[in-house]
Amino acid sequence: MRYMNEVLASRELLANLTLREIRGQYKRTIFGQLWSLVNPLATMLVYTIVFAFILRVTPPPGNPSGLNIFAVWLLCGLLPWAFFANVVQQGMGSIISNAGLVQKVYFSRIVLPLSKVGSVGYNWLFEMGVLVVVLALCGSFVWPWIPIVIIVMVLLAIFAAGLSLMLSVANVHFRDTQYFVSILMQIWMYLTPIIYPISLVEDQSKAHGGLFGTSITILDIYRLNPLERFVAVFRQLLYDNTWPNPQDLLLCAIWAFAALTIGLWVFRKSEKGLAEAL
Amino acid sequence: MSDIAVQVDHVSKKFRLYHERNQSIKSAIMRGRRSVHEDFWALKDVSFEVPTGSTFGLIGSNGSGKSTLLKCLAKIYYPEKGTISYQGRIAALLEVGSGFHPELSGRENVFLNGSILGMSKKEVTGKFDEIVDFSGVEQFIDQPVKNYSSGMYVRLGFAIAINVDPDVLVVDEVLSVGDAEFQEKCSQKFVDFKEAGKTVILVSHSMESVREMCDHAAWLSHGELIQVGKADTTIASYLESLHGGAQL
Repeated sequence: MRYMNEVLASRELLANLTLREIRGQYKRTIFGQLWSLVNPLATMLVYTIVFAFILRVTPPPGNPSGLNIFAVWLLCGLLPWAFFANVVQQGMGSIISNAGLVQKVYFSRIVLPLSKVGSVGYNWLFEMGVLVVVLALCGSFVWPWIPIVIIVMVLLAIFAAGLSLMLSVANVHFRDTQYFVSILMQIWMYLTPIIYPISLVEDQSKAHGGLFGTSITILDIYRLNPLERFVAVFRQLLYDNTWPNPQDLLLCAIWAFAALTIGLWVFRKSEKGLAEAL
Repeated sequence: MSDIAVQVDHVSKKFRLYHERNQSIKSAIMRGRRSVHEDFWALKDVSFEVPTGSTFGLIGSNGSGKSTLLKCLAKIYYPEKGTISYQGRIAALLEVGSGFHPELSGRENVFLNGSILGMSKKEVTGKFDEIVDFSGVEQFIDQPVKNYSSGMYVRLGFAIAINVDPDVLVVDEVLSVGDAEFQEKCSQKFVDFKEAGKTVILVSHSMESVREMCDHAAWLSHGELIQVGKADTTIASYLESLHGGAQL
């Protein structure tokens, strides 16, 4: 509890560090904040060409929204994933890149990874805003779902924060972490139904049946991936315009708070040794 | 309000000297979890008290543990044994301008750096003019700090830190920054500080400035406290131990 108070007391510092990231990021660029849109758009273009035109992946149309546009369907999963991946990767390096600060000034170290959640989240908010406008233009009645979308966004941010707290500490002790994680994130992305619909996995799973004589299917294992649930919930809300599956939503919340609890515990335990270990 | 501002009670600090350190996961796994190290005690059972309102100097040769002690005081390192207790708010000035973002303006950096040092936005706003005035960079306050000369950079950093207004100020050798005029200003600031009843702990190699500014001093050698007491006598015995007490 006392730790919580200390973290709360440094919320102003957190806000200032987040602002530093946001203001510093696109300084001296002509397009400024627009650059934050270019990355997801370029990725969207590549994936749409490869997966929709060449490989002919056809996700089911939105039910009940009736939307049937691959690029939009892709973005509903890709933007949350990109946020998650960026928070984890930047948060992980946040203590090392501020080594000078950590070794010279006392402050609540937790603000360093958390400020990355803030600055990446700011960009994400901007991207999601644009996505909502695009969805509305395409005929999706997305407006009533926005409050729930925001709740799920917060849950994903909590989940990402928990992971980056753990990894930022691990990275101070073992610099291998950052290289390992960047490979892991690539694999993780393809293990999540972002560029292909989960129905393809369902088909494969049915074809193989229970694994090793048990009733556990490939799909059961596949769905252990927390990001699978998050992406599903985002698609249900944004693309399908329907209530998310309550079980999925609950699991998202459980994953988020479990990650945060472990992350806080790990971080708190090793916080005092950080200046020395750097 | 007691008369002891900082109490250092049997503080020992250990560092590990690694012969073969497991800095990668590979080496950690290959060698089993053990890394080969020996313990090095940078501080051995150091105890002293700093009276409120005094200016306290830490002296000693290189590698005597002064900076380690300072970092323990600043809560950057945590001692293995013993405790350090404070009366009131403590601020440490180990490096100036840490956390400046080069692309941001001086003004933005004042707010950023102020909050890193533990000031609230209201405090910084209230002291903004004073900070800018003290640093002498008002003309360039809206320029990115990467365009500052190194002197301006350091002066702005110092001006923020000195305005944190703590009860106890811990200072590493940052007094030697800036030109003569700025040094004059800094010394004046320390005098004001002292008159306001605040405590200053400083590390310096310049015996002249320690003698001039400090009323108490502690002498460390190889992590052990040799002598603590009035500045003059402590400095005298330190110099004597070096070479018969002849020079500064």
